[in-house]
Amino acid sequence: MVFTTHIFLFYFLPLVLVIYYLLPRYRNAFLTIASYIFYGWWEPWFVLLMMTSTILDYVCGGIIASPKSTPTRRRVALVSAIMGDVGLLAFFKYYAFTAQNLNRLLPMLGVSSMPLLQVTLPIGISFYTFESMSYTIDVYRGIVPRAQSFSDLSCFVSLFPHLVAGPIVRYSVIARQLASREHTLKKFSYGIALFILGFAKKILLANPMGVVADATFAAASPLTVDAWFGGFAYAFQIYFDFSGYSDMAVGLSRMFGLVIPKNFASPYLAESITDFWRRWHISLSTWLRDYLYVPLGGNKKGLRRTYLNLTIVMLIGGLWHGANWTFVVWGAYHGLLLAFERWRGKQTIYQWLPKPGRVGITFVLVLISWVLFRAPNLSLAWSYLEAMFGARTHVSCSALLAGEIYTPHNLAVMLLCVSLSFQPIEIYDWLEHLSWRRALVLVPLFLFTIGVMFTQTFNPFLYFQF
Amino acid sequence: MSRRFQLLFSGLFLATIFIVPLSQAGLEIYQGQLPEFFDVFTRVPKRVNLRTFETNIENRSVYATAVRPWIQSLLFMALRDPGEKALLGRDGWLFYTPDVRYLVENKPAESDTEPENPVLAITTFSRQLSQRGIHLIVLPMPGKPSVYPDELTHRAHMHDHDFASPTRELISSLQTAGVETMDLYETFLSLRQQHRLDAVEPYYLAQDTHWSGTAVRIIAHVVARRLLDLGWAQTGSTEYTVNSMYLRRRGDIIRMASVPSLTQTFPAEEVHCFQVFDKETRNLYKDDARSAILLLGDSFFRMYETDEPTSAGFIAHLARELRTPLTSIVNDGGASTLVRQQLSRRSDLLRGKKLVIWEFVERDIRFGTDGWKYVPLPRD
Repeated sequence: MVFTTHIFLFYFLPLVLVIYYLLPRYRNAFLTIASYIFYGWWEPWFVLLMMTSTILDYVCGGIIASPKSTPTRRRVALVSAIMGDVGLLAFFKYYAFTAQNLNRLLPMLGVSSMPLLQVTLPIGISFYTFESMSYTIDVYRGIVPRAQSFSDLSCFVSLFPHLVAGPIVRYSVIARQLASREHTLKKFSYGIALFILGFAKKILLANPMGVVADATFAAASPLTVDAWFGGFAYAFQIYFDFSGYSDMAVGLSRMFGLVIPKNFASPYLAESITDFWRRWHISLSTWLRDYLYVPLGGNKKGLRRTYLNLTIVMLIGGLWHGANWTFVVWGAYHGLLLAFERWRGKQTIYQWLPKPGRVGITFVLVLISWVLFRAPNLSLAWSYLEAMFGARTHVSCSALLAGEIYTPHNLAVMLLCVSLSFQPIEIYDWLEHLSWRRALVLVPLFLFTIGVMFTQTFNPFLYFQF
Repeated sequence: MSRRFQLLFSGLFLATIFIVPLSQAGLEIYQGQLPEFFDVFTRVPKRVNLRTFETNIENRSVYATAVRPWIQSLLFMALRDPGEKALLGRDGWLFYTPDVRYLVENKPAESDTEPENPVLAITTFSRQLSQRGIHLIVLPMPGKPSVYPDELTHRAHMHDHDFASPTRELISSLQTAGVETMDLYETFLSLRQQHRLDAVEPYYLAQDTHWSGTAVRIIAHVVARRLLDLGWAQTGSTEYTVNSMYLRRRGDIIRMASVPSLTQTFPAEEVHCFQVFDKETRNLYKDDARSAILLLGDSFFRMYETDEPTSAGFIAHLARELRTPLTSIVNDGGASTLVRQQLSRRSDLLRGKKLVIWEFVERDIRFGTDGWKYVPLPRD
């Protein structure tokens, strides 16, 4: 189910809110059932997959936390849980990609090729796998106690607000809240306000920018100015789409009394790539830091190892987004930029510029990486970059793209995206001081956004595919 | 924010999300129906059933239906946004988005198999007909943006001299494969060059995806000349005459966009048509199934022929040029495959035929309904 649909907004959400608040007990169990329905709405069978992953982590977490367990037994349980989770992810997300690539090499080595299976990617598998894996690792590290009940752990893994597109929540963040949490009107209204703003970001900004980005990326040979316009459009689409979803997730969680952390902090105001990764998809970058970068040795094993670790982490981070060489190159690009900045003592080569210059150059570096992220393959990504840098001949029909993308609507939305992305006030701060005036602005915004939602057929959530 | 306003704010949000399903259910009960929502309990929860249920909920929502036109009108009035299906050009011209996408987008990777390969489908059809001694002539019809790119965007002016639709590659491939294919792009290009000098009526309608009455008449003449030059058709003995007339017509782009304020902004367009009559009987032109010539086509052949004012479309004008009635199968948006499937079911229609004229609009090369499937000919 998608937040920005009729079925979610007018049927699922009201029904779940009513039953949740009418229930005197078993609210976590109810949230789990509701979350399974939410997830199963897309493909009912995949609920079993998520339950399998949860059961595995619950059992392994129990073994690890058991006082009777020997260190070896604990280690075996940890490795089993990780292998189980990674195995599920590897099979469903990377099997086809691996088979396709290996099948190019294996015949040369005289080995028979791998069968090409049609594997459907379960929505949000990367998110919930990382969440459940973090539970077992944290139990092993002694950061959190084992889950009190299977219901608690399954509620944490399946919790519908953050289930399919994050933020990637840690069990440590939510464990205590699952046992006991406060439901206040302040929390509820704050959650509503966040939900409305996220909903508006998605419908009013991300979707129109998505239409522009799709048109330019699909064009046979966009003109240089169109390619840049399309690149900007995609940068804003992905930001407002993903941050909009995260805001809605955080807002919905608050409506159910749960506080989960924000996922973005004005990422396009970053002054370096290092800074960008402190602000973009914070829950993923901190997850990768704590569960990959640090175990690899982080920056404790010398400079060369630090650069290598950064690159490895970003490569895996890229691959986490999808089974495609474009994501691998995207990850490598960021990894190399991070390593380069680390080599310069966390400084960029444009450090001497005034702040707007630093922000602008960082944004352009990120925008170039979004081309790799958006393009369906490396060859098309390269063509698009050629178009951006004027190294591509244009066919005459490309001129028509202007008629599709430079409409007053698209230009107005682009302008709004620019002004919202490059201003310093974050919506979380803006909502911290939620006055009645601000709240009353949000109500017509909500009504208008619903109206616009009724008119849109283009409504994808980009991060669902991850 | 005080507790009172938190309560008010939360109440307004909850009222919004509750009022829609409750009033929808209330209305359905009032109309004597079981609320649509209960449908979810009557089907096996499979992916396909859940999608159908969700689509039904959205389509039957009285709120969505009532609010949508208002929002569309607001977006059009404030931001000149005519919706997802239409693009606003210059001088009051509207364009159909798929027509533009066809020209701008990357061609999909070459495919050797049907239904993705139009060249394969067309050459196969040509061979099938040839085995029965029937000639085929193909008319890929330029979309409006191919003929009037400058009316979509000023930037296209720079490419006036070299504007080339990707369809011309298809035409070239078909000609290489020995399929007789007419290049109407050249025709329209030279017509437009004359148009600039003589200021005649446009060859496409400003609010419609289709051609004007004037273009119909000219292209019918050009095609007839070609058929006669090839010796694939002979001039008959039926004399036709034309009656010039004007009618007001609401463009199909406005209909497809479904934005109410577009209707107010764009009044019905005046169209100059030429109705074809049998000179002797004074009856309007009518097809004759016994004709040696069969036309297959889409809405370009339907325009003015079976819809208003009737007998003023391409078929009637070609008949007039050739002085003989023709046979036709027309399928809106289905000229790639559906029209041949219709032919396949009508064994009588190919009997005695010497020539088939097959027209399809260029966007159908990529977006044609059912693609480009292999379709057997009807039994002899």
